[in-house]
Amino acid sequence: MTVQFKPAETFRDTFTYRKSPEDILRFPFPFPEDEYMYSVNIEPHVRGGPTAAFQAAFDIDEHYIAECRERERVLKEDPKRCQVLPHMMAAEWDSLELIMESLAQDYPEHFSLTKAGDLWTWVNRPLNIHQSFTFGKAETLPCGPFEYITRQAQGDFTLQDQRDDNLFVDGGMVTTQADWSLEFDIGMSFHEWHGPVPLAHEKGVFDRALKYLLRLQCGQPVRRLNWTMTVNPRLDTSPENYPVWGPDKASVTPDNVAEKVHLRVELQTLYRLPRSNAILFGIRCYLTSVADIARVPKWRRRLHRVLRDLHPDIAAYKGLPRFRQTVLDYLAPLDDGEPTSKGIAPDTDVLAG
Amino acid sequence: MTAGAPLQVRVRDIVELAPSLKRFSFEPAHGGLFPTPPAGGHVMLTLRDGARVMKNAYSLVSPPMERARYDIIVRLVAQSRGGSDFLHRKVAPGDVLEMARPVSLFPLASSAKKHLLIGGGIGITPLLSFLPEMKARGARFELHQLATGEEVPVFERLLAPYATGEEIRVHGGGRAAFDLAGLLSRQPLGTHVYVCGPHALMDAVTGTAAALGWPRGKIHKESFGGATGGLPFRAVLRRSGIEVEVGETQTLLEAIEAAGVAAPCLCRGGACGECVTPVIEGEVDHRDDFLSAEEKAGGKVVMTCVSRARGPRLVLDL
Amino acid sequence: MSDQGIKSRPRYHPIAPDPQGRHHLLVVDGPDVPVEALAEGVTPSAFEVWTVARKSAVPASPAMDEQAGAVRVFRAVPHLFSALEERLARETMGLRLYAAGTEPFLWDAYGIGARAGLSPQEMAFAHVGTQARRIFCVHCRTVMEGVTTSITTCAGCGAPLFVRDHFSRRLAAFMAVQIDAEVPGEVPQAEELYS
Repeated sequence: MTVQFKPAETFRDTFTYRKSPEDILRFPFPFPEDEYMYSVNIEPHVRGGPTAAFQAAFDIDEHYIAECRERERVLKEDPKRCQVLPHMMAAEWDSLELIMESLAQDYPEHFSLTKAGDLWTWVNRPLNIHQSFTFGKAETLPCGPFEYITRQAQGDFTLQDQRDDNLFVDGGMVTTQADWSLEFDIGMSFHEWHGPVPLAHEKGVFDRALKYLLRLQCGQPVRRLNWTMTVNPRLDTSPENYPVWGPDKASVTPDNVAEKVHLRVELQTLYRLPRSNAILFGIRCYLTSVADIARVPKWRRRLHRVLRDLHPDIAAYKGLPRFRQTVLDYLAPLDDGEPTSKGIAPDTDVLAG
Repeated sequence: MTAGAPLQVRVRDIVELAPSLKRFSFEPAHGGLFPTPPAGGHVMLTLRDGARVMKNAYSLVSPPMERARYDIIVRLVAQSRGGSDFLHRKVAPGDVLEMARPVSLFPLASSAKKHLLIGGGIGITPLLSFLPEMKARGARFELHQLATGEEVPVFERLLAPYATGEEIRVHGGGRAAFDLAGLLSRQPLGTHVYVCGPHALMDAVTGTAAALGWPRGKIHKESFGGATGGLPFRAVLRRSGIEVEVGETQTLLEAIEAAGVAAPCLCRGGACGECVTPVIEGEVDHRDDFLSAEEKAGGKVVMTCVSRARGPRLVLDL
Repeated sequence: MSDQGIKSRPRYHPIAPDPQGRHHLLVVDGPDVPVEALAEGVTPSAFEVWTVARKSAVPASPAMDEQAGAVRVFRAVPHLFSALEERLARETMGLRLYAAGTEPFLWDAYGIGARAGLSPQEMAFAHVGTQARRIFCVHCRTVMEGVTTSITTCAGCGAPLFVRDHFSRRLAAFMAVQIDAEVPGEVPQAEELYS
């Protein structure tokens, strides 16, 4: 795989982030049908899926270096965007082992991991890292094991402790989130941290999802897709920084809507960890502008239909009202009413326009 | 949940720890390393004795950092269904067996201030895998192993590598001499108790702890699951014109897929609703979290990924 | 304007001693156990009770009388909490901790219990008294006490804040988020909701 990294891309201020054609086609478009409602849309996380984003355990793409640099900036501005409660140290080591082994297996051209007993050596070529350390001894790493490895992965991660027939978000690296606060939510139970989501509670979605996750076993990870929309390809849309990015939402006009408004998708993966019995929850974030979506005929039809018929409570919760109509006005003429296939695959390997 | 691809394992060595206790050590049959085993985890070994196939659960006793081998300890049981007898008498180094991936239904609590472990006889096995993990965490613990007089030295030898202080004790005086209530009463707030052994011991520990005011979430016992699998039955797929036998440890969905029918499914764990299939005839044993109480009582649909038949036969509109 | 639909709001019930518990310790943030905090048919004598007098001239506690029916009086809430930490550190399994009072008091007590190793199964709370909220400004992390309106101004960073129903037991506070971040100055009328 010959990915061309774009290390200088920015996700704030100048917003120089752009997607290559291959990058657009590997996007995990979130809608398998022409309408959307909350469901327990969990499936086994196997290597392979409808687009190339599903190929690896933890996906690396052309934005890898730029995203790691953006994460570094966020943490410098606010170290509390990464926190782990003290009783979760075993889960930190579990996560480090899982992510390092997965990256080395999926991307041997970029990462390697060698072990001599508990003396490990980790090489990350894109980030120029060569680190030897003793597994299990936190003082042999420059920072906590969870922070150490998640600084070298794309997307957010949380650590969930399982106890009392419940899951608790007892740790996280949260710098690319769609508007939730780790500092506020850390320590919450499953239903508590999902508290603000409309409709899904009444449908029993969270009750069923929790029961399912409590039975998750090592070696059988699962995944699902979540989505929202963001103005500008901004990764840090945290509540903390809402005063900074809030004005973006009111800046959408018919002239800039296609370039500015992005479909923001989370490929969420869930892994049971062996020593701690915790769950590692990966929240891998992808951004594609409406203009780029429009270059895939199936996706532009479907996005139009989903947004047009979306339940207003869901639209409100996802922060869409200010610009939803402007997006619809742009997409409507591009929707010729033709049928669309089930599933999320683009059904093409060339882009229109 | 479905088990994922099983492991092929080769017997590395067999060590007799006592006349009825053997430790079996396995390595990956095709080289490489095992996945990191969960603390408190167990594996299902498939034992083929001629035409007879048995699947038995054994706790892994090897430490999590040890991935070149998985160890179990098997007690030869006089009235065994054949599993322990087969292992003790018919399995030799070099033999290759099928082993399901380790599963853990008996984990160590991360937020415990102290772990109190109580084992009886062969029940020591899941507790053995806790010891290296507790040491790695620097966790506060106490372990009490109950054994018959003759086996006290056997368990003391097994536990010796971890017995650095006063935390580990092997008791040979029988249950009457073991002051269970006193032990449980003096534990500080935040202690979790874990018990594995004969049913009478597990009931005594869980019952006494509850009576002394320990909350349910801090009392743990190893039951190896139990709710998966069931009696074999026949599934008739009316539209496909096929009949499949659903085995004891196989799900209805797996049997349908094995017969080459592409049945709908998604989560494979009874939560998402994708695999709901109409039932034409037969009584359903519902084990899912998706259908409502009315739907389950109505008996007209089944979630093929986790549910089974209550009787010998189910006819499905598939 | 509010988001009262949030499912993470704690729910409170009148307190009764858990029949499974060995010993029952009830802490309140006033001089007496409020009658409405207890379930029907339950009296304070079922608990060891700790109260707060809000007076300095309270004699030092009598020699450890730690059984049901005993009452200890503290000068103020922090005084009670320091004794609670010490007491839980030497307690044994089977204890149940109960608290009755305002919401911040309850969750501050919860934090002490949780740090001592108690799980939610071993604690129970009754919300009595003012509905005024402790809030946490998610932007600057300033905590404000006694907020009764749906919108207020942050004492730390000056942002006009919307007081949400999203509640953190760990912080013992409700989340507050800037209300005019998208269009500065667009601030709705505040409503008196929490008194």
